[in-house]
Amino acid sequence: MGMGNACYVYPGAPATPGIVTPDVTFSRGIYMNGSMRFDDGNSVTIWGFTDLAAGQGQADGMGGGSFPSPAMRVTEGQIVHTKLTVGDMWMHTIHHHGIEPSQENDGVGHLSQDVTNGTYTYQWRPKNAGTYFYHCHTNTPLHAEMGMYGGLIVDPKPNPADPVGTKRAFANGPIYDVEAIWAADEIDPAWHNLEWAAGTCGGDVGLNNLNPKYFIITGVDGKTSALTNPGVAVNMVKGQTLLVRYICAGFHPQKIDFGGLTASVVASDGRPLPTPWQTGSIEAHSAERFDCIFKPTITGTWTVTISFYHWRTGAVMGTAKTRITVT
Amino acid sequence: MERRSFIKLGGASLASAVLGSGLLSWVPRSEAATISKTFYITGGTITMPDGVGVYFKGFSNSATGLNVPAASIICQEGDTLSITVVNKLAVTHNFVIGGLKPGDPVLASTGDIASGATKTLTYTIPTGKAGSYLFYDNKTTYNVFLGLHGGLAIMPAGKSNQLYSGSPTFVKQQFWIFNDIDPALNSAVQSNAVVPTTFTPRYFTINGLTSLPPGAAGHGDPTRDALYDTRTRLAGFVGDRTLVRMLSAGMCSHAVHAHANHFEWLTDRGTVRSSVWKKDTLYLRNKLGKIDAIFPFEAPPDAYPPTTHGHFPMHLHDEMSQTAGGGMYQFGSMTEIEFL
Ligand SMILES: [Cu+2]
Ligand SMILES: [Cu+2]
Repeated sequence: MGMGNACYVYPGAPATPGIVTPDVTFSRGIYMNGSMRFDDGNSVTIWGFTDLAAGQGQADGMGGGSFPSPAMRVTEGQIVHTKLTVGDMWMHTIHHHGIEPSQENDGVGHLSQDVTNGTYTYQWRPKNAGTYFYHCHTNTPLHAEMGMYGGLIVDPKPNPADPVGTKRAFANGPIYDVEAIWAADEIDPAWHNLEWAAGTCGGDVGLNNLNPKYFIITGVDGKTSALTNPGVAVNMVKGQTLLVRYICAGFHPQKIDFGGLTASVVASDGRPLPTPWQTGSIEAHSAERFDCIFKPTITGTWTVTISFYHWRTGAVMGTAKTRITVT
Repeated sequence: MERRSFIKLGGASLASAVLGSGLLSWVPRSEAATISKTFYITGGTITMPDGVGVYFKGFSNSATGLNVPAASIICQEGDTLSITVVNKLAVTHNFVIGGLKPGDPVLASTGDIASGATKTLTYTIPTGKAGSYLFYDNKTTYNVFLGLHGGLAIMPAGKSNQLYSGSPTFVKQQFWIFNDIDPALNSAVQSNAVVPTTFTPRYFTINGLTSLPPGAAGHGDPTRDALYDTRTRLAGFVGDRTLVRMLSAGMCSHAVHAHANHFEWLTDRGTVRSSVWKKDTLYLRNKLGKIDAIFPFEAPPDAYPPTTHGHFPMHLHDEMSQTAGGGMYQFGSMTEIEFL
């Protein structure tokens, strides 16, 4: 790995225009030598972002880190700084997907800069509560496939009329007790041996052709592990309300089937729906998000299945499964 | 490739001037008109961003040019379309206007047009057909992928700013026609070889072009760079609500993702949505999928300090589509959104 040949990149780490004192700051480094192990014992290299403030990782990018990258959680109206520090060996950006900031803070290389050899501070102020995610926007097919993404949740401002600790999906939106973030993604191991600028100077490195072998939910293998992994599978008590934030984090289309439960979809892409949509399944494509409310009235276990469809043939390439257990 | 497309209209229909600047300009008429257009089915080679020449066919404006996609047509309910198609190629083709929804019969067809032959399609548009249509060649399942396609906008009678009667309003409108290209198919067709049964697309276009990022040859040239193609690029002041008629001519489904604003999602596959959702990403189906959505040109909501200016991308989020020839990120199906 290393700098290598890179073309059509726009290196820089300038000052942020109009920078002010933020309400919240995230300090992200990067890692380029993480890994994920699947249920069959195989593993692949994973790249991602680290939380420098929590002592994770180093700005030089070696070593590993959590996958997905550490989530960001903010409240609407806050001024947020996302400080991205990258060494001189590579380039990355952070695009806060669905957040719509100024051009300089949008994290798109060719319209601002690919961060290298320094720190850029993305300044933004979220207006709309909801489910987002952040990801790298440098050589994006590769960097997002390699794992450079994390959850981004914007909570509504607390309603003074609500009891302290009340959680709502958005202002005046549904109140929930239990929350799950399901980022469904597919992994093609053949892509996971490429260097960071692969293909940017030309040559066929296969980035037009994603043939996934593994199907994961929020960094956990959806073959078996996600059925019980406590970071993915939901355990709740009858009478509670569940909010599932479903993020289509892969590149191929998906369908999530709730296994007999009916979701009340209350928002998509960080915007409330005019009226909630009652459905047992959702078809989604890359980067769509759906906020799904469940109020189970009986106890039981439901298996949630996410099917991954080939973008051209429509064939099911694989599935990832998890569970909702109500006691 | 001849890129600028000007439709020459029949004498009676000057009010329906189309597509010089790229934007669909439209003035409604109280009386129906006949919209006449001649297309020439032609072939030729277009150079992809990695230097590879790929054979395409198109419904072209002249017997010697090549237009991929074809010049768009805009008309209104009640008009009569009179479309003459001249087949300059060696094999039989046809020209159909696809139905509004999947499974709908085609609106009209020329029938087979043998090599060297000319056919004229005449179709009077009934009320109730307002919407976005793809015209294409369905003589084979793959002719549409070769470039034989274009957009047809049917406006509701008497309306200048609505997609369908009573829809949210817009001030500008344009097409985004997406295609996915496997050169193995194109070269098999060119050489009369057996057409492959499976495809792996290597190039991804919007209105026939790929983006050419800063530093690339042709960057900024509106006749070469999808970022600057006036048919494709969204450019507006705050409030310049722009209807985008998205049509899939290609083999892959796509996730159409705008930065800076959420779209207002009006239709999916020809059906008006029961309510308007605001979406930053829209699922455009393959197999002739279509979506109508308005880009509202509101100030980017999350900017601090607030701003009403800037340049942003619209790109497909199925990121394989952002490449050319298996690499070359940023040479795929992407355009630019400029807040003037
Ligand atoms: Cu990156
Ligand atoms: Cu994104």
